[in-house]
Formats: sequence, C-alpha cells, structure tokens
Amino acid sequence: MSDITYLPGKEPHANEHRLIFKNVDRQGWDTSIDTYIKDGGYEMLKKGLGMEPKAIIDEVKTSGLRGRGGAGFPTGIKWGFIPPDNQKPVYLICNCDESEPGTFKDRYIVHQDPHQLIEGMILSAFAVGAHTAYIYIREEFPEAAITLEKAIAEARAKNLLGKNILSSGFDLEIYVHRGAAAYICGEETGLIESLEGKRPYPRIKPPYFPAAMGLYMAPTIVNNVESLCHVVHILRMGGDEYVKLGTPRNSGTRILCVSGDVKKPGYFEVQVGKVTFRELLYEMCGGPKDGREFKAVIPGGSSSKVLRCEESFKIGRGDEAKDITFWDLPLDFDTLAAAGSMAGSGGVIVMDDSRRMSWVLNNITHFYAHESCGQCTPCREGSTWMKKVSDRIEDGSATPEDVKTLEEIAYQIDGKTVCAFGEASAWPVEAMIDKFREELVGETSEKNDFKSAERLEQEKFLSTSF
Amino acid sequence: MSTRIVVPRPRVIDRSRLSYIRLRSASPLQVPRPRLIDRSQLIYLTLGKVPQARKINPAHVHYLRPEPSVLEKNILSPETPGTENFEPFAITPQLEQEADRRIAQYPDDQKRSAVLPLLHEVQHRFGFISPESIDWVAQKLDIAPIKVVEVVTFYPGFRQKAPGKLHFRVCRTLSCAMGGSYELMAKICELTGIDRGSADTHKDPISVSPCGKFSVEYAECLASCGTAPVCLVNDDFHEGVLPEKAQELIAQYNG
Ligand SMILES: Cc1cc2nc3c(=O)[nH]c(=O)nc-3n(C[C@H](O)[C@H](O)[C@H](O)COP(=O)(O)O)c2cc1C
Ligand code: SF4
Ligand code: FES
Repeated sequence: MSDITYLPGKEPHANEHRLIFKNVDRQGWDTSIDTYIKDGGYEMLKKGLGMEPKAIIDEVKTSGLRGRGGAGFPTGIKWGFIPPDNQKPVYLICNCDESEPGTFKDRYIVHQDPHQLIEGMILSAFAVGAHTAYIYIREEFPEAAITLEKAIAEARAKNLLGKNILSSGFDLEIYVHRGAAAYICGEETGLIESLEGKRPYPRIKPPYFPAAMGLYMAPTIVNNVESLCHVVHILRMGGDEYVKLGTPRNSGTRILCVSGDVKKPGYFEVQVGKVTFRELLYEMCGGPKDGREFKAVIPGGSSSKVLRCEESFKIGRGDEAKDITFWDLPLDFDTLAAAGSMAGSGGVIVMDDSRRMSWVLNNITHFYAHESCGQCTPCREGSTWMKKVSDRIEDGSATPEDVKTLEEIAYQIDGKTVCAFGEASAWPVEAMIDKFREELVGETSEKNDFKSAERLEQEKFLSTSF
Repeated sequence: MSTRIVVPRPRVIDRSRLSYIRLRSASPLQVPRPRLIDRSQLIYLTLGKVPQARKINPAHVHYLRPEPSVLEKNILSPETPGTENFEPFAITPQLEQEADRRIAQYPDDQKRSAVLPLLHEVQHRFGFISPESIDWVAQKLDIAPIKVVEVVTFYPGFRQKAPGKLHFRVCRTLSCAMGGSYELMAKICELTGIDRGSADTHKDPISVSPCGKFSVEYAECLASCGTAPVCLVNDDFHEGVLPEKAQELIAQYNG
C-alpha cells in the first residue's frame, strides 16, 4: 500500500488502518470501473465465484465481522438464518440510508468507491443465494444514486453483473432504490416496507425477521454499506487473518466519524478497539478548540447514550472488573456497551464546555419527534412530548419537575415499542438527564408555572359545561 | 411527591358545530340539507377502479362544502410564488419510458414497489407532486390513488407545492446546529426575503420567497456532520457553509 498517495491535507492519520477507505481521497482515483480493476478490483469476485457459497459464509463467520449499521450483529450468523428449506427467491438489500445523526461514512464509499460496494454485494449475494439485490439509498444522496447506477451499468457491460456472471452460472441484478428523506427507512423492516412501496412502518420482530420473512415475505438479508464492503477484504485476507485485526470479539476495522467541537473533525478508519477516546480526540482530531475543554461525547450516533468526559467506568466481570476512565475507553462494541452506551454506527459527536446541555437535548428531541413514524403510541406521543418539555427547558419556562417528567416519558417509551426507534429516542434523553441533571435543573425555576398559561386555559375549557 | 403526568392540550372544538346535536327550545330542530358530493373527489377513498364522475348540476354547486375536507387538503397543491418555475404535469413519452424502466426493476407482481421511484421522477420533472400526477402514478401501478397519497404525505422528501427555482435544504441536526446552521438559515432567509415566521416544520416545511426564485426548508442530518454546517441546493451538496458564506453560495447560482 506504500505506493498510494492521498490528496494533500486529506492524508490518513498514522493510527489509521485503511481497508474500506483505502481509495477515499486517493490521488488520481475516480469512480470508473477501469480505475478499480487496475487497482486489483474484482479479483476477489473471481475467487469467490469459484468457492462454495457455504465456504464464503464460513469465512465471514470466522472473520467475526459485526454489522456496522448500528446493532453490531455478527454478519455471518445473520446470513445463516435463511431457512434451509426455503423455496422463495432470496433478496439482498444494501442499507445506504445513512441517516443516524453523526454518521458520515457510507457517503464517502458510495460517492468515491462504488465498485467496492458492488463487488461486496455480488459476493454476499452469491453467498446467500440472492439473484436480485437492491441498494436502498437515501434521497439526499442524488449524486451517489447516479454514480451507483453508472457503476452498475459498467459492471454489467463487463459481465460482472447480469446473467451467468463470468461464466460461473450465477445470475445477479442490482438495482438502486431511492428513499425519500425518512430516518425510519434505516430500520431494516421499515426499509423493506418502504421498498415495497408503502409507508415505512417497521414490522414487529418476532415474527418478521427479515432473514425469514423480509421483502415480499421472502428471506431477505439487510446489511449496511460498510459491512458489505468488508466482505471483499475478508475474502482477500481470509477469515483467519482478518480476525487478527482489532481485538477479540471486535475484529476488523471500522470507520469512526468525528464531528462537533474538535479542531479537526473527520473520518478515521481504525482497528476496532485499538484506539481510545484520548487517542482519537487528542491525537487524531487535534484536541479541543482553543480555550475550550471537552465536556461530553456521544459515541455512536445520536441514539447512543452520552458519556461525560470526567466519568470513569467499571468494565469487566467479577474479579476482572477494572476502573477505566472515559479517556482510556477503547471504542469497541463490547466496552462501550459495558460503559452503558453503544458503538452504534460509529458517529462520535463531541461537545465542549461552551455547549448548554439543554440546548443539545432540545436539538435531539426535535430530531426524534420529527422522525417517529407514528405507528405506535408510546413513541409517537412520547417523542412529541419530550420535544415539548425540552422546548420549555430550553426557553426557560420549565419547572424542576419538568426534568422528572421528561425522564419519566423516556422510560415509558423505552422497551415498549414496535421497533428500536423507541430506544433510540429514549436513551439519549435518559442519559442526558442521568448525567447532567444538575445542569438541566439549573435551567428551570420553581417560580415558573407553565400551567398558569396552558393549564388555566385547559381548565377553563374543561369547566365550561357542554 | 407524587408524580403528575402532564396531559397535552386537548384539541379545541369548534363549538358552533355542536349545535347540530343540541335541541334548541325556541326554534324547531334544524336539519342541514344533505350536501351533494363531487364524486370525482371520492376516488381517493375507493379501493378499486376510478368511478365515473357524476354530472353535477351547476345550480346545485352552492351545496358543496365550502371548506375542503382533510383528504382534499392532503392532495391539493396550493399555488406558491414558485408555481411558475415548473411546467404543469403532463404525461410525456419520456416520462412513460422512464417509468416503465423503473417498474421493470421489481418483480412483475410487485409493481407497487415502484411508487417511490415514479414519484421521484415526477418531482424531478415537475417540481412537486400534483393531484394529477398522483392519479397517473396510481394508474401506472394499478393501485388505488389513496395508496399513492399515503406515501406522498408520509415522506418529507416529497413536496406537494412548488418550491423556488433554488431550493435550499439546510441541515439542522446536532453537529450542524453546533456549526451554525440555524444562523445560516436566518442569513439565507434574510438575503432572499423569505419570511419563515409561520413555517411549521412538520406539515408545511417549505417557505418560498415572494419572487418565487428561492425556497428554504430544514433537513435532518445530511450525513456529512464532519464538514458542518451543510446544505443541499436542489441536487447540489455544499459543505462547510458558514453563515457568512451564505451570500457567496447564493451568488454562485445567481451569477
Ligand atoms: C431507528 C433505526 C435507524 C437505523 N438506521 C440505519 C441506517 O441509517 N443505516 C444502517 O445501515 N442501519 C441502520 N439501522 C440498523 C438496521 O436496522 C440494521 O440493523 C442494519 O442495516 C443491519 O446491517 P448490519 O448488520 O450490516 O449492521 C437502523 C436501526 C434503527 C432501529
Ligand atoms: S417505535 Fe416509533 S418509529 Fe418504531 S414503529 Fe413505533 S412509532 Fe414507528
Ligand atoms: S448533522 Fe448536519 S450533516 Fe449530520
């Protein structure tokens, strides 16, 4: 890889280990198939098509690859869930809805390296036995939709897609399907409903696990863009070799997207768990802005629970439990889960001491109130209530009791909804209140009485007899 | 202290309407005359084929409800200053051809899947989704128009009224807000003479400038938080648009 040069100012940091992002910001790189093939592209496809599908799945299982879309579910195991006696067509869907606030990794893959994704998708489709695949791309990536369609046409022209790919007897068509600016289309069952031409109301699991009852009620595998790209590298390196990257149970590389109050925000592809917050925020992102200090970090997209920078955590079980400060936490799936948050989609949002937490909370609740699909009551009503209460805290008309109300609403959503959006909207609120209660309460006042305005009006209305 | 659950404000009922269920002692019970319904409007309720519109006697037209119903409101496209930027909806051979290509991407018995692609095609060519285009999509896919309406009204990506020639979508989510996207929006509005005072971000998110040239809307995270604040101008993506660069951004298109 030593011969690869990057655009000036966009060189990877020394701590990075680039697999997926190898070609992002690369000098002399473009999205054409010739460039990709000249760089050794589609070689793994030839290798993969010569293997047994089962062998590819095993390779992915050995690699320990965990989904990069948010849940971190092992990809190889997910692929194994397709019922063995299945008679229906199998579908593969690439989830390129990238809408989790704070996440911006898939954007660069689909804009700058579409053929890597296509190669990954062909291999994955071959492994799971799919002959039709869809790329569900968010509406806000119009340029990428065109890039991908062009890339698909190029690949078709070279018989890398279509009928009897490279004379292997395997057929596959990939289509691009554009969403329409709804966050909930990122949720896999919502995505499937949307692809069926309906409102993206998520389906309840069980029984609607996509691997058994997905698109058109046929077995469907939904994977994130980054997860599918990893398949190419797993085949190249071999599962045994790939699993050595990163840390045990958290293998491979992943892309961390840092935004917010740091000197140099950006994307960094690192080995999972090999980088701590200290290294990430101070070394790679250049530390806080001048004269500022870090205050809080959202580690995995806005749905994950916020962490305070002066916190420390007990990680590990029983006697092995260790006290680890926030700064020494490695960013991997298990440690962040043990610290009470999650690695999610890799979107790290940093806030410094100039930020008021009530303002941050207000911004987040607005997002979730806007994006709830409205199918189930706790989420639809709860997210709107949380928005209203946090509006009050933000504009200074709340009472200390409002903070408690807010917390209560959040706990009433959490775990009581059709899809994980419920948790996604409740967790940030729960954590924000848990960790910054004093600050939030400090923004309220006993003297305030929103009831005086709103309640009185209500009571007047209710008391007038019909 | 016991916790109290805060009840959101009940919807205010127009009490004058309640008079129909109240017996007035003084005057005899007033039963309103049945109103004639324009059946062509009802197609959005029916499940199968579009029924023939009944002929309406013009003399009876005043019986029609003066206020459009909720359903009617949901399919109508109110005029905006931007309406003249776009051709009225028309079924052209190119449109048909593109639609057929899209429909072919899905299994033969699952044509309905093409509803989003078809609506995108309409919006791309004609600026917004009009009632006529809803009918066309429904016909093309052999589904009831209501099934198209429900999609159009759900997704924020579809708009039912004309935007300006330049449509700005400014990301308002956390990282961009920290980077100054609210200020950016204020600046764009100031420079283009848009009054966002009454904009409701959920039902009616788009504000059009009086000249019809510009329109603005807030978007949720556009997946480029590292280069905040960001915005889309029509289909072009712009990153690092600090509020002070708003002038430059608009000038780029005006030049
Ligand atoms: C509310 C919600 C939003 C989601 N948004 C996305 C998204 O934007 N992109 C994505 O890849 N996965 C998203 N997911 C996760 C998907 O449901 C699914 O787990 C993922 O696509 C599986 O792919 P993976 O196994 O490769 O991670 C979301 C999940 C939820 C509950
Ligand atoms: S939890 Fe929210 S987003 Fe998920 S199905 Fe229910 S209402 Fe829709
Ligand atoms: S917050 Fe604006 S792009 Fe993500």
